[in-house]
Amino acid sequence: MSKLVLTGVSRRFGSVTAVEDFNLTLLAGEFVSLLGPSGCGKTTTLRMIAGFLEPSAGTIALDGQVISSPGSARPPEQRNMSMIFQSYAIWPNMTVAENVAFGLEVRKRPRAEIRTRVAQILEVVRLQHLGDRYPQELSGGQQQRVALARAIVVQPGVLLLDEPLSNLDANLREEMRYEIRRLHDEFKITTVYVTHDQAEAMVTSDRIAVMNAGRVEQVDAPRALYARPRTRFVAGFIGRTNFLEGEVRGGEVIFDGFTASAARFAETPAAGGRVTFSLRPQSIHLHRARPATSDAAVIVVGEITQRAYLGEHWDYTVRPAESALTLRVTARPHEVFEVNEKVWLEIDARQMAVIAEA
Amino acid sequence: MRQVLALVVTAALAIAVPVWSNAWAFDGEKELYEAAKKEKELTWYTAHYNTETAAAICGGFEKKYPGVACKYVRTTAQVAYQRLAQDQKAGIAQASVISSTDASHYGKMKQDGWLQKYRPKNLAELADAFKPFNDPDDLFVATAAGLVLLTYNTAAVPAGEAPKKWTDLLDPKWKNKISIGHPGFSGYVGTWVVQMKKLYGWDYFKKLELNRPRIGRSINDTVTMLNSKESLVAAGPSATTLESKGKGNPLAVVYPEDGAVLMVSPTGILKNAPAPNAGKLLVEYLLGRECNEIIVKHAQDPVNKHVKPMAGGKSIAEVKTIRPTYDEIDKGIPEVKELFRETFGI
Amino acid sequence: MRLDRSTLLWALLVAALLLLVVNPLARLVWTSFQHADTGALTLGNYAIAYGRWRNVEALVNSLIVGLSVGVLDLLFGVPMAWAVSRTDMPGKGLVWAAVLGTFIMPNYLGAVAWMLLAGPNAGWLNRIYTSVTGAEAGPFNIYSMPGLVFVIACYSFPYVFVFTRTAFDLISSEMEDAASTLGASVWRTTRRVTLPLALPAILGAFIVAFLEAIALFGVPALIALPGRFQVVTTMLWQFFEFPPKVPVAAAYSMPLLLITVLLFWLQRRLIARKGYVALTGKGGERRLVKLGLARWPVLGYCLLVTTLSFFVPMIVVVQAAFAKAWGRGFSLDNVTLRNIRFVLFDQPATRDATWNTFLYATAASLLALTLALAIAYIVQRRLVPLGGVLTQVAMAPFVIPGIVLAIGFYAAYTSKPLVLYGTAWILVLAFATRFLPIAYANSDAAIRSVNPELEDAARILGGSRFLALRRVVAPILARGLAGAFILVFIPATRELSSAIFLYTTGTQVLSVLLFDKSDEGNFELLSSIGLVLVVVTVALVMTGFRLVGRDFMLRRTAT
Repeated sequence: MSKLVLTGVSRRFGSVTAVEDFNLTLLAGEFVSLLGPSGCGKTTTLRMIAGFLEPSAGTIALDGQVISSPGSARPPEQRNMSMIFQSYAIWPNMTVAENVAFGLEVRKRPRAEIRTRVAQILEVVRLQHLGDRYPQELSGGQQQRVALARAIVVQPGVLLLDEPLSNLDANLREEMRYEIRRLHDEFKITTVYVTHDQAEAMVTSDRIAVMNAGRVEQVDAPRALYARPRTRFVAGFIGRTNFLEGEVRGGEVIFDGFTASAARFAETPAAGGRVTFSLRPQSIHLHRARPATSDAAVIVVGEITQRAYLGEHWDYTVRPAESALTLRVTARPHEVFEVNEKVWLEIDARQMAVIAEA
Repeated sequence: MRQVLALVVTAALAIAVPVWSNAWAFDGEKELYEAAKKEKELTWYTAHYNTETAAAICGGFEKKYPGVACKYVRTTAQVAYQRLAQDQKAGIAQASVISSTDASHYGKMKQDGWLQKYRPKNLAELADAFKPFNDPDDLFVATAAGLVLLTYNTAAVPAGEAPKKWTDLLDPKWKNKISIGHPGFSGYVGTWVVQMKKLYGWDYFKKLELNRPRIGRSINDTVTMLNSKESLVAAGPSATTLESKGKGNPLAVVYPEDGAVLMVSPTGILKNAPAPNAGKLLVEYLLGRECNEIIVKHAQDPVNKHVKPMAGGKSIAEVKTIRPTYDEIDKGIPEVKELFRETFGI
Repeated sequence: MRLDRSTLLWALLVAALLLLVVNPLARLVWTSFQHADTGALTLGNYAIAYGRWRNVEALVNSLIVGLSVGVLDLLFGVPMAWAVSRTDMPGKGLVWAAVLGTFIMPNYLGAVAWMLLAGPNAGWLNRIYTSVTGAEAGPFNIYSMPGLVFVIACYSFPYVFVFTRTAFDLISSEMEDAASTLGASVWRTTRRVTLPLALPAILGAFIVAFLEAIALFGVPALIALPGRFQVVTTMLWQFFEFPPKVPVAAAYSMPLLLITVLLFWLQRRLIARKGYVALTGKGGERRLVKLGLARWPVLGYCLLVTTLSFFVPMIVVVQAAFAKAWGRGFSLDNVTLRNIRFVLFDQPATRDATWNTFLYATAASLLALTLALAIAYIVQRRLVPLGGVLTQVAMAPFVIPGIVLAIGFYAAYTSKPLVLYGTAWILVLAFATRFLPIAYANSDAAIRSVNPELEDAARILGGSRFLALRRVVAPILARGLAGAFILVFIPATRELSSAIFLYTTGTQVLSVLLFDKSDEGNFELLSSIGLVLVVVTVALVMTGFRLVGRDFMLRRTAT
């Protein structure tokens, strides 16, 4: 059953188009991220879903009813959604408990019920002893959790999060990623999560909508997004990648410096014409000696031009023989090679994805 | 039988009246008082006295007529008139009684129909010297008098050196030491300037300017200037100066040989007075004995023929006084205001 | 439906602004072209107004006064602000309290005190001088152009102080450190780095001081008239003498209006170009400059200025209030409670005026703040179109001298269709309009400090916009607004320039009462009234401190 449907949603500010032709369908209980660099229109889309902005074109429907369309939008207070803001927006003039209770008070729940539910949710977010504190007395992470508690306790139809973790330090961010996913699983709320951090999106989401310059480039589950990026932008934005351009001719793909049979690839590229592949650095393995031939692998010889040791992995730059290409390769810590050393590259062709050029 | 009773009562009253201090002093006073009690508060715009004297008069009035409230607003003549004019223009009835010291104001008020006719019962109490200054049409009546004369600070000026006549002020020895008011603000000063011009022509003031007098606004400013020794001699008011002297300040007055300028200041009741009966009562009071006794305590000159001026001061009748006519004042004051501004720069 | 509501709101605000700002101003300009009797359009008023050299000279005098006051205020205020904000000078609390005292003291009361101090023949300072040196006469003459400039500057430098101090507070020490690591001394750093950074604020303060000075009425009436020269405001008062020549007065005030508009525009250009010192950022850490032995002369300077503006005049006022005859000086037999008693009990006008003063000031402040908040909120949240226009109109009264505004109000509301003259309303509305710009500037800053997400959070949880305002925005703003209220309230209690034309006997306020008494020459009474005004104001400010905290005047908004 589809919970939230965005159809052809666009938003213009004067002559600037912030969002263009956005289409997305969320099923009940799904966790979808809007991922993209700043200025890509993700926050604008979120605010349209929340009802703070009207779309310039297109419609937004909740539970089958249209709630936003050009010229009319149901106000935010009538959508039964909750939102977590980048600044958390915890009210400084109220205690933690009062903050969390606000939504329930607005819904005119009886006092005893409010007390119980607030206590319960504070336990869930592990803030049970801080109910009487004021926000100024809490750490960033604690304030975050107050925002979560406040948003979830009202059992919203849709939960919206606007870059909630960007103000936290790296460790806390990691911890909170899991926390958010855990809460989602426990309460099964339909969630839309906006972020520019791909790791966050990958960890938390069922599906990710990658946005760029107002448009959606691809909507897919995290693994599919990583393994099968559809556009150059998505490939480059999610993780690092190597772009390989080749020409398809007679059942073979001819790259700069080497050739591979078209059959090795997971997706057979169209015959005739140019094609671009995305090749992840992890999909290349380095060997000192020529590895055994296999159907899945493309074997190329090359030379290490640069290397950097990052503790968890090596980052090698390799230039295949007779090629101008520079391939980035991720290797495990014990795989040590010298610069200018001759190496064999074992490229896992099944991991290469065909990119549709814009 | 009833007639006899009436006769007896009237006789008794006739005997009793002079004995009572609060007896009804004039015919119709009681009715006026009853009517006044029902009215709103009486507001009285006055330039005739200083604040303390005005306060004392209102206090006396309220004591004599309990239940009738008297609120005074003491300003210079110019400001009083301005306030009144603005009120009239806007159609607001605020003041019930107007006592300006600028006689030219009354001509205009009469012309504009602001005043109401009332012939006070206490007119008989008015000293004869002032009767000519009442309006023949009973629109205003003289209720206050004063003198503008030469004043000086006794601590800084020995009696022998003090000016004896108006032209003595032109002596260069008084340069930067003279204090006067401004005819643009004060009715007293306006009248004085008109009189001086009548006596000596405008040249008098051109020569006075050579002495760079300190120009204030009200004629009462001169008292402050003398008290503080900011100025040593002045063309000042007899009443306020003598009152200040009575407080212990080193001041003295000189009755000029060429004549002290007599100020007769009328009072009128406004046609749109919010408290007309109280207003009438106030005018009667101003002419009456109690009021004049109060103002004598404040060193003002009484207008009631039965009340003696305070010790140390001369009664107006004894002094050589000069005074412009109503017409001269009427036309003169606006004219001298301009001339004054030309000569003195402000 | 939402379009209707916001349109209605906009219409309401526009109506309010029309009533308060646009109508008086329009009537003023219109009246200046009307013939007094016939109402026909004419340029005659301008001919009368500027036909005489005396009248033009008054305008020139005003400009001289304005420029001189601006310069003197900078000399007073900038070093003090620097000392308090950026150095380790001792006694900052005392200096700050004295500046506050100066702000509370009405400038016309200060003028009276200075008349008693520096009257050329009898002023105490001159008397001391002559008795010490044996000279003929003392050198001080308050009734002069320098005297006028001095007195005005004494009571307008607090504005310069506050503006400049705020700017200095925001300069991060890192700016100065960069200079000192390159070898610059304290003084060179201050001259080449600190001051230039604060320059936009300093120039802005200069302009404010100038505008204040040329628009003042009370002080020039007390000092310039005996000094035999006129300025624009006293000249305007003359035009109101009976019969009031309102069209001529309107024509005469036009150049004043134009000059202030020009200056205001200039100030906006300056600040827009150079940009305020890190008003957007947090300013960074601020370390105090160590003055060493120099701190004593610096403190001395600060105390000298405040002694001249506050301590000595206060002593004079107190002495006069309790004196039988102030000229007799300090002696035990010259002490009496008579004046105070008279003023408090025997003179009904004082009671009425006191009540009126604080009632009108409160009403005007509330009105101004409410309107300002409404406009600032609506403009910042972009709830209506053409918000910029609303802001401009709300800030417009800043460039209108009080006396000119009063004339405009007089012209607009003394005749049909809307006659407000004679009621308290005309005063309350005139005050509210006069102080609307201050209220707006503070409201704007206050609302800016509230993250809109706080309201959004309330709305998404189901609360209406109104609920969000009530439960979230209002409590957060309360502290800052109490400060803004006091910043409007205090000037409103002692406002003279606009009250002098619009009051009637029933609606008199303390400032006018005091001024009216000054023409009677009764300084003892006058000082008593002034003392009453100052004492009650101080009491209210102290209460404000308690409620709001000590920093309210520095406009440090709650983060």
